[in-house]
Amino acid sequence: MEFVSPEGLRLDGRRPTEMRQLRAEIGNVAKADGSAVFEMGNTKVIAAVYGPREVQNKSQQMSDQALVRCEYSMANFSTGDRMRKPKGDRRSTEISLVIRQTMEACILTHLMPRSQIDIFVQVLQADGGTRSACINAATLALQDAGIPMRDIVTSCSAGYLNSTPLLDLNYVEDSAGGPDVTVGLRLLSCGTYGYTLGPMD
Amino acid sequence: MVGLSEGEQEFIKGGIAQDLRSDGRKRYTYRPIYVETGVIPQANGSARVRMGSTDVIASVKAELGRPSAMQPDKGKVAIFVDCSPTAEPTFEGRGGEELSAELSSALQHCLLGGKSGAGAGIDLSSLVVVEGKVCWDLYIDGLVISSDGNLLDALGAAIKAALSNTGIPSVHVAAEAASDEQPEVDISDEEFLQFDTSGVPVITTLTKVGKHYIVDATLEEESQMSSAVSISINRQGHICGMIKRGGVGLDPSVILDMISVANFVSRQLMDKLDSEIAAADADEDES
Repeated sequence: MEFVSPEGLRLDGRRPTEMRQLRAEIGNVAKADGSAVFEMGNTKVIAAVYGPREVQNKSQQMSDQALVRCEYSMANFSTGDRMRKPKGDRRSTEISLVIRQTMEACILTHLMPRSQIDIFVQVLQADGGTRSACINAATLALQDAGIPMRDIVTSCSAGYLNSTPLLDLNYVEDSAGGPDVTVGLRLLSCGTYGYTLGPMD
Repeated sequence: MVGLSEGEQEFIKGGIAQDLRSDGRKRYTYRPIYVETGVIPQANGSARVRMGSTDVIASVKAELGRPSAMQPDKGKVAIFVDCSPTAEPTFEGRGGEELSAELSSALQHCLLGGKSGAGAGIDLSSLVVVEGKVCWDLYIDGLVISSDGNLLDALGAAIKAALSNTGIPSVHVAAEAASDEQPEVDISDEEFLQFDTSGVPVITTLTKVGKHYIVDATLEEESQMSSAVSISINRQGHICGMIKRGGVGLDPSVILDMISVANFVSRQLMDKLDSEIAAADADEDES
């Protein structure tokens, strides 16, 4: 199947290094300490941050830093075919772990010992790049909550189809079977870039 | 939610008794309601409803299926509610399951009628394609994004708005098939039939605090309730479903009084919702 036309246009009319339209909103969930909605094309996710607050499970409390927890769930209606199990499956658990590790690296956890920061990400619409949208939404939500961070993390995916590197894959391109990578970048680290995650599917 | 002190509890109860609630509303006033339709383009119909800080999304997906043997002339509808942890940290993991199950069964009760399929607020016979063989299965999914009380009313309103936004694709049935075979069907991408929602009821919850009832309680006010009655009423003013929650008993005369109050309040809610849905649909058509 042709993903890049001979003129160099992708299925949705973008150029290979062009991103989808981005939209963000902050403060949607009034009750949360911080929240944000992030859209990358048709992928839409909402992130809410509760914390720093008292640790719920005392056995997990750490005396020198904050405990960061994350849960990723997809709404039943987020994918084309209706999903039965919004969370608890392997993929959700893996992505929860990945988001947690990425955000934990940026939060100044040593400033908030014996406390807990919860990051909840809910996918409302999935059209490829949900991992990246979640990390971007989580960053905005953490900033809305006023949690001290050493850096800002942004994320995007990329792949390789029809011998062309493509930026910001949508669902059709993502499921085409070519290699793809999701990269999280810390922007302010002394002007150089480092990656905090890069699984090659 | 952070616990309330004695003083705060008395303030809430006293305000309700004097018809002046903490946010300035009267007992039978709803918070400002905002409706957006078509928020989930992949679904057949969807809507987002905000009542104060309560924010819910409902989506309707239609799939072809077989009617059940007991009701071959009716389609099927299933309602599921999911409470997202973004609304409440306690909904993490399996924490929200109990509330989700309670809301799902309350909505099914109010909108879908009894086991025989009779008395449903949604006309199931409009969903049948080939009697006994092919029908539409509607999956209605509710998602609670932010919770500040009165989830049932908000979800009921969102489902009504989503159904009015739902387009069921036209189906062309191929030539006559043998009686035991599944007929071939061709789902049209072009033509859509708008779902008829004139019979869909709205749900009004009356929360009893002390001697008085209030409508559209916030989370704080709900913490002071002794009992709550949720009534779903349709345009004709007929009761489609009723649920009582809370362990405190109610005298039957109180329930009858609550029903008449709900009748009065739901009329206003229904008019408000209809105008908001019409406005939302108009916005969606323009954009």
